[in-house]
Amino acid sequence: MAQLELTNITKSFGGTIAVQNFNLAIETGEFISFLGPSGCGKTTTLRMVAGFEIPTSGTVTLDGVDLTNLPPNKRNMGMVFQSYALFPNMTAAQNVGYGLKVAGKPKDEIDQRVDEMLELIQMRDFSRRYPNQLSGGQQQRLALARSLAIRPKVLLLDEPLSALDAKIRLELRQEIRRIQRQLGITTIYVTHDQEEAFSLSDRVVVMSRGLIQQVDTPIQIYNHPASDFVAEFVGHINLLPVEVAQAKEGLVRLGSQLIRAGQFEHLNGRPVRLAVRPEELKSGFAEGANNLTGKIESVTYLGAIVRVHVDVDGHLVSLEMFNERSLNIPAVGQPYQINFPVEACWLTNGEKE
Amino acid sequence: MKTQKKNTWAIFWAVLAMLYFFVPMLGTFIFSLRMKRGVLSFQAYQSVLADSRFLESFRYSATMGIITVLVSVLLLLPTVYWIYVKVPWMRPAMDIITILPFVVPVIVLVFGLIRTFGRPPFQLTLTTFGTDILMTAGYVIITMPYMYRAIDVGMRSMDVRTLTEAAQSLGSNWFQVLTQVILPNLRIAVLSGALICFATVMGELILADFLVRPALGSYMAGIGRSKAYEPAALAIISYGLTWVCLGLIQYFSRGSQEQQLTGR
Repeated sequence: MAQLELTNITKSFGGTIAVQNFNLAIETGEFISFLGPSGCGKTTTLRMVAGFEIPTSGTVTLDGVDLTNLPPNKRNMGMVFQSYALFPNMTAAQNVGYGLKVAGKPKDEIDQRVDEMLELIQMRDFSRRYPNQLSGGQQQRLALARSLAIRPKVLLLDEPLSALDAKIRLELRQEIRRIQRQLGITTIYVTHDQEEAFSLSDRVVVMSRGLIQQVDTPIQIYNHPASDFVAEFVGHINLLPVEVAQAKEGLVRLGSQLIRAGQFEHLNGRPVRLAVRPEELKSGFAEGANNLTGKIESVTYLGAIVRVHVDVDGHLVSLEMFNERSLNIPAVGQPYQINFPVEACWLTNGEKE
Repeated sequence: MKTQKKNTWAIFWAVLAMLYFFVPMLGTFIFSLRMKRGVLSFQAYQSVLADSRFLESFRYSATMGIITVLVSVLLLLPTVYWIYVKVPWMRPAMDIITILPFVVPVIVLVFGLIRTFGRPPFQLTLTTFGTDILMTAGYVIITMPYMYRAIDVGMRSMDVRTLTEAAQSLGSNWFQVLTQVILPNLRIAVLSGALICFATVMGELILADFLVRPALGSYMAGIGRSKAYEPAALAIISYGLTWVCLGLIQYFSRGSQEQQLTGR
């Protein structure tokens, strides 16, 4: 049986539905991310787990116990906020020990646990500092330690890294994962950053407009997106309007050029679009692959990656190449040939969201 | 060159403002020393401090001031907190409600209080205790704009809602959140609100006059009508007391900054 279960959760504010029919079972020790654009309902769902919002309908159960209407201070869940939310009047050590103090634990036990937690986040030397004397990264680590000090059954993180700069974000991300693995604590992580979600999670819940779009492992979500929304939200993708040429042969036409695209059975009418990730596209001609010709529209350097847009009969196709020394960077306006394997593309009906 | 010119003007205006403020003070002070003909002396001060009515009224007003501050904080702190956390859309309404004491003259308030609570079923004006309750209620209303704004500004300077949620997720109930997390961070705001409330009560005249209670304001007004030098001495004394209060606030707020090493 799953440790944390969200069953048929719906939440509406006034007339607006924020979350609809949310169903999810989370195993003990699992790291789950809620991923989606702002306003997709991911934070609202997390707040319902934490007890800050009461679902309009549906239930939240932890270890078989219904928590739906239980106040947040009775749930034993640790929460980390985007804005750190450290208590400015308390030192680092007092912040970490606060939950235990509230629980009426003896002083020795509190001191020991605080020490343990500060050791875990490698901040023992900072125990007497006040939050305003710590950097953003240190503050957020402290907030993490504070939430873990009470030995919560579930750890909830609400965009914890959004307020930090890129380098700290990366460091802290690895630290969160290390600590989570070390403690084996069930974790829900809310983010709009797919890289964060992918690099941290066992499973990712992709949400849009209050609905779950897909729940799966990061690799499945990237390689087998359940909908156009997921395909477009996660990474980059080419979604090219094509005409069905010969359904039996599995052939479609982009402008005047034929593409072999495989499966047609799932399609239900028009328009049809061809989906292919930019990194699947290669330059040059390849036997047995789909080959297209066009001319270079633009070249963008992104550091490790060079993104090239190729105009194929009036449609922009984007491809990504590693910025290797041997890379022959094409010039804008130059004719260009590209290819991609048949199995790397699929057809879809969805309208562009 | 330009900044130098700017600085000169800044100093000029600052000196002008100081003169505007201190010259009358100085005049009052010198005047208060002239009770004895031909020599400067503290005779007026001795006369004031020797008057048992002064001490009595001072003690009465100070007690009322402290009670008013306590009632105001107990009433407004949880209210403002609740508005911030649960019903933030009420804030504009509160802004208007708390400004009302400025709009309604105190004289109207007093007559309202007397007419409502001076007759059955309340009849609070029959006893001094009952009248003191009315006085406190009146003071709380008169000082509400100051106290409300002080607390409001304090709350605005921190993320009340997230701090509350953080404390709740760590197991705190509402009372613990308010007393252990919110209030300690509002200390300076509440202290400065308390000072203004206290000073207002100390100088208040109309409420005490019409409810016939021995407040400092009434005493000062009475002295002012019948004597020449003592009112000046009283003015200087009350001015000094205000500075003492300000100093205390300053002292307490600095204490909390040292506690945090860098301050906020």
